[in-house]
Amino acid sequence: MGGVWVYAEVKEGAVKKVALEILGEARKMASSKGEECCAVLVGQGVEGLAPRLGAYGADKVFCVEGEDFARYTTGAYTKALYDLVQKEQPSILLFGATLNGKDLSARLAARLGVGLATDCTEIGLDDAGNLKVKRPMFAGKVYADVAFSDAKPQMASVRPNVLTPPQPDESKQAEVVKVDVEVTPEDKGAEVVDFIQVGGGKVDLTEAEIIVSGGRGMKAAENFKILEELAEVLGGVVGASRAAVDAGWRPQSDQVGQSGKVVTPNLYIACGISGAIQHLAGMGTSKVIVAINKDPEAPIFKKADYGVVDDLFKVVPALTEEVRKLKAEG
Amino acid sequence: MNVLVCMKQVPDTEAEIRPTADKTAIDYTGIKFIMNVYDEYAVEEALRIKEKMGGKVTILCLGPERATEAIRTALAMGADDAVHLVDPLFEGGDAYATAKALAKAAEKVEYDLILCGKQAIDDDLAQVGSILGEFLKIPTVTGIVKLEISSDGKKATVHRQVEGGLDVIEVPLPAVFTASKGLNEPRYPSLPGIMKAKKKPLQTLTASDLGLGEDEIGAKGSHIKILSFSLPPMRKEGKIVDGETPEEKAANLAKLLREEAKVI
Amino acid sequence: MEVGREIFWNIALGWLTYLVMGVAVLILAYNLYDRISLWRRGQEENRWDSVGKRIWGVILYVVGHARVLKEGYPGVMHLMIFWGFLILLLGAGVDAFNHYSGLHFLKGGVYLAFSFILEIAGLMVIVGVVMALWRRYVTRPSRLDSRAEDAWVLILLGAIVVSGFLVEGARIAAQGNPWERWSFVGWTLSGLFGKGKGVLLFHKALWWVHLFLSFIFVAVISYTKLLHIITSVLSTFFRNLQPSAIRPIENMEEAESFGVSRWEEFTWVDLLQLDACTRCGRCQDNCPAHLTEKPLSPKEVVQGIKAVFEQETAPILQRMRTWGVEKKEEEEGEEGKTLVGGVISEDAIWSCTTCGACVVHCPVFVEPYPKLIDFRRYLALMESRFPQEVQVAFRNMENNSNPWGIGMHTRADWAKDLGVKTLAEDRDVEYLLYVGCAGSFDDLNKKVATAVVKLLQRAGVSFGILGTEEGCCGDSARRLGNEYLYQIMVEQNIEVMKNYGVKKIITLCPHGYNTLKNEYPQFGGEFEVYHYTEVLARLISEGKLQLIKPIEDSVTYHDSCYLGRYNGLYEEPRKVLGAIPGLKMVEMARCRSRSFCCGAGGGRFWMEEHLGTRINHARLQDVLESGASTVVTSCPFCYTMLSDAIKEKEVEERLRARDLAELVLEATEGV
Repeated sequence: MGGVWVYAEVKEGAVKKVALEILGEARKMASSKGEECCAVLVGQGVEGLAPRLGAYGADKVFCVEGEDFARYTTGAYTKALYDLVQKEQPSILLFGATLNGKDLSARLAARLGVGLATDCTEIGLDDAGNLKVKRPMFAGKVYADVAFSDAKPQMASVRPNVLTPPQPDESKQAEVVKVDVEVTPEDKGAEVVDFIQVGGGKVDLTEAEIIVSGGRGMKAAENFKILEELAEVLGGVVGASRAAVDAGWRPQSDQVGQSGKVVTPNLYIACGISGAIQHLAGMGTSKVIVAINKDPEAPIFKKADYGVVDDLFKVVPALTEEVRKLKAEG
Repeated sequence: MNVLVCMKQVPDTEAEIRPTADKTAIDYTGIKFIMNVYDEYAVEEALRIKEKMGGKVTILCLGPERATEAIRTALAMGADDAVHLVDPLFEGGDAYATAKALAKAAEKVEYDLILCGKQAIDDDLAQVGSILGEFLKIPTVTGIVKLEISSDGKKATVHRQVEGGLDVIEVPLPAVFTASKGLNEPRYPSLPGIMKAKKKPLQTLTASDLGLGEDEIGAKGSHIKILSFSLPPMRKEGKIVDGETPEEKAANLAKLLREEAKVI
Repeated sequence: MEVGREIFWNIALGWLTYLVMGVAVLILAYNLYDRISLWRRGQEENRWDSVGKRIWGVILYVVGHARVLKEGYPGVMHLMIFWGFLILLLGAGVDAFNHYSGLHFLKGGVYLAFSFILEIAGLMVIVGVVMALWRRYVTRPSRLDSRAEDAWVLILLGAIVVSGFLVEGARIAAQGNPWERWSFVGWTLSGLFGKGKGVLLFHKALWWVHLFLSFIFVAVISYTKLLHIITSVLSTFFRNLQPSAIRPIENMEEAESFGVSRWEEFTWVDLLQLDACTRCGRCQDNCPAHLTEKPLSPKEVVQGIKAVFEQETAPILQRMRTWGVEKKEEEEGEEGKTLVGGVISEDAIWSCTTCGACVVHCPVFVEPYPKLIDFRRYLALMESRFPQEVQVAFRNMENNSNPWGIGMHTRADWAKDLGVKTLAEDRDVEYLLYVGCAGSFDDLNKKVATAVVKLLQRAGVSFGILGTEEGCCGDSARRLGNEYLYQIMVEQNIEVMKNYGVKKIITLCPHGYNTLKNEYPQFGGEFEVYHYTEVLARLISEGKLQLIKPIEDSVTYHDSCYLGRYNGLYEEPRKVLGAIPGLKMVEMARCRSRSFCCGAGGGRFWMEEHLGTRINHARLQDVLESGASTVVTSCPFCYTMLSDAIKEKEVEERLRARDLAELVLEATEGV
């Protein structure tokens, strides 16, 4: 009975980082409540991922394996989790607020008849041991403190890149429980027949943790090379402002802004971007914003945490060198 | 091909959102309201289906009196009629309670498929479409950017946004689809459309019309509750990095990013 | 023989003149009646007001050629032909009057003077015709397209006058009067004829040829471009006397259709204008869209509509002429071809910046850009078909009362530290400072708003702002064809302003200025509206602002279309600049009414510019050629467009853009 559970979403044979972030909190909550902290894996050939979950704090890992789970479908996965939850009766069930995580948690919560808070930035317990969360509303203009009804499990999906994953402890072992679930065609409902890749296969801008972006100040397509080098050394991707896309220097899929992509990286470096309102709308919630522009009046400096008023063609390569040095130091 | 579109009226994206003095609610005075952006894609898609395959488009909206303005906008775009669920008992309802009412109302409408927006830009919950599908016992596919219906009207093929690309999914109808940005470009209502909309049928239903008791809807029928609102932490004022030369500035910046901001 | 001229000398049956010309006039009248019937198939419009003013316009513009003469060569060329012919015509009339009235005053010195003047007139026509032929067929300016009739009409004109001179020459040769040397051309030509019996024959023959040609001339007026002789007078008489060239849509609630997609939806004045256009091309030559290779030419717009009009009214004319059989004019459900996307492409329709050059430069008062707005109204209101960015702008105006879509609750943030009160706080002020969207939300133009506020405060002007109660003036909505949205915005603003008892308004933006002053009265909003340049000019002349700090710079002033061409405010900004010590002013070649648009008007600021070359870059060329190091603007659109152009063309080293208010503030020693 009980248990603080984390759905460990799998992507390309690995557990998504957000699951590990949530496990940290889940572990704490489970200990506080005196319940087990469990993780759930659903997929095909995912059993091997269980030890990692153990290292991050799971006492038990449920594995639902099967051909029906090779590709994510709402129907099959909801059935799997529903059956499992009905059997084990966890008190709290947490998901990463990814595209599939949000989809799955919503359908599951409906089937279970329980409360679900989406895209939380803080999770914890109230004095009675009930789930209590904080989540953004109105596109982040306000935050709401949310409480749950008694219906169990109390569910929440957590925004990626907000919680800090715990330090893994390789010595910790989790109990692996294999679960068999029957899935009928009715259960599945929809069928995934194909996959269309979009973008170069690199990390999508909307998922990137570090973005180096160029604007009108870049002057030419070739000049983006220096941004690519900086992005490489930082482990990030390159974005562009509207002006750069309009000028044909970068593809539309690289555009950050109101009519491009809205991004939430940890670090956003804007090079030669003046900071028009429409661009700021696309990257304004980045954790740290750096602006490099030789125009001291550029509006972006009002939004930036760190501003460098100088020639980006000198600053960026220098910065790349500095970062390289720092990373080499360790 | 009859399409039911679930639509919500929300504050404009640029509106200033202020909690009330006691922080338990949002102060809506002076706020401009609009049709939820993602619902617009749903309405537009429904209209395109109607243009291609014939049939009717019905708007279903749960909201206060003022929501009729958004409903009229949908009618002006070309929807045929609308059902407006208005009742003080609906207030404070979460996605679960709301979807319950919508499902009851949907039972009164003839539909071959249901379209919603993927999330409402006020609560950002992104649940109603999924819960609605569960209540009606039909599949829901969330976050679609393309919708094609087979000529016999029995199944749909959609493109669903997933990480790194799009899943191509086949679904038997009826089903619920929630629309994401990129599905289409919503039309701007024509002036004759706006004038005609004033006369299109708009039915108002209360909780009792739907056979729903007080405990099933609104705050009492909800599973989550907002205790209080708070404003996001103010962004600290930024600083201009010191340095005599570009190289010096770069060095100082790198140091700050590592030691102070801890992002590299 | 006494000094004078015998009427119909040597011409038996001279009285046939009246019969022949009478027939020609009848043909003309008949066709004119038809044309008027066709124009009247257009919508209603009342342009019968201010008759006195309208008549004066005919005198000034038709007889006086006030607009025609704005261009040197073609102006003089046409003046020669027009006045030459007019004098010759009047001369014939005086001659007839002289005879039939029995007064016989054309004798002696009076006759000689009369004769001399007519010689000059005839020469004027010939010179004009030669100038015209040369221009059209040798110089070949790009704005002229040539059809067969262009040549024939000129040749006919020339032939009439030449034959007239030849008739005179023959007569002089035959009559042999020495005082005829005052008719110096005829005198010279008489040498061709000798003295034999043949002269009388030549004279008769040439006389009949001359009559015949004149008959042809009058008869073909209604079949050729010569119709402009009549229609130009009409189009000048019926020109727009309203402060705005754009008409509101009456009765939006009941109307079934909005805007224009077929010719019948234009008004009768619009249709008359189609017949007044002579394809002179001045509109095209001054059109910023055309000059930057957009698929738009105002001349082609008018001629395109005219072509469809001609094509579709041909069967109507047929029916009208079937005497006895079916004189009824009911066509069963025949709707005209749609012009939008047909003879006028949608790209052309959206390319217009409403700079007004076409309207201001047309010698016969044709109005091309209002017709484009009529098309835009059709596209926007009936079809909801417009570039995607336009939809964004419409929604933003609807939801946040500014085309940028920035939260309307932040509209007054720019002013929060300036000590400006809103009318809500204190309504007892003399002026409302109507800031406008650019001054409220755009970083560059907030500086201008701030500068104007500081100057007004310094000069002790009593003013207040509406703050968050201010709404977008709606100019962009109207220019983009969304008259419905426009009217909603206007009515809202008027209500707020009337609520505060606003009487006088100062605006920062010429577009706001223009619409508040010239268009809000269409909706019951009557206010005294001033642009800040007018106000600054007055404050400086009254000594309320002391411009003491010299600014050593060479500047050129860019005339905003909506301040200059639309409202005639050319001199006030120049007076202000002139009052700044140390400033050297150079004028661009294309200045004042010939100013070249910055490209932002007509709602184009909110649209992408994909076609042709950039209008603001073209204007930048003008600025660079002037040699000035600062270009001064007095409009937020112009300021933004020129600043952008400077950045895009990377000429920041040698040129900067500044607003007039910023310079004045600097000169009052505050920055």
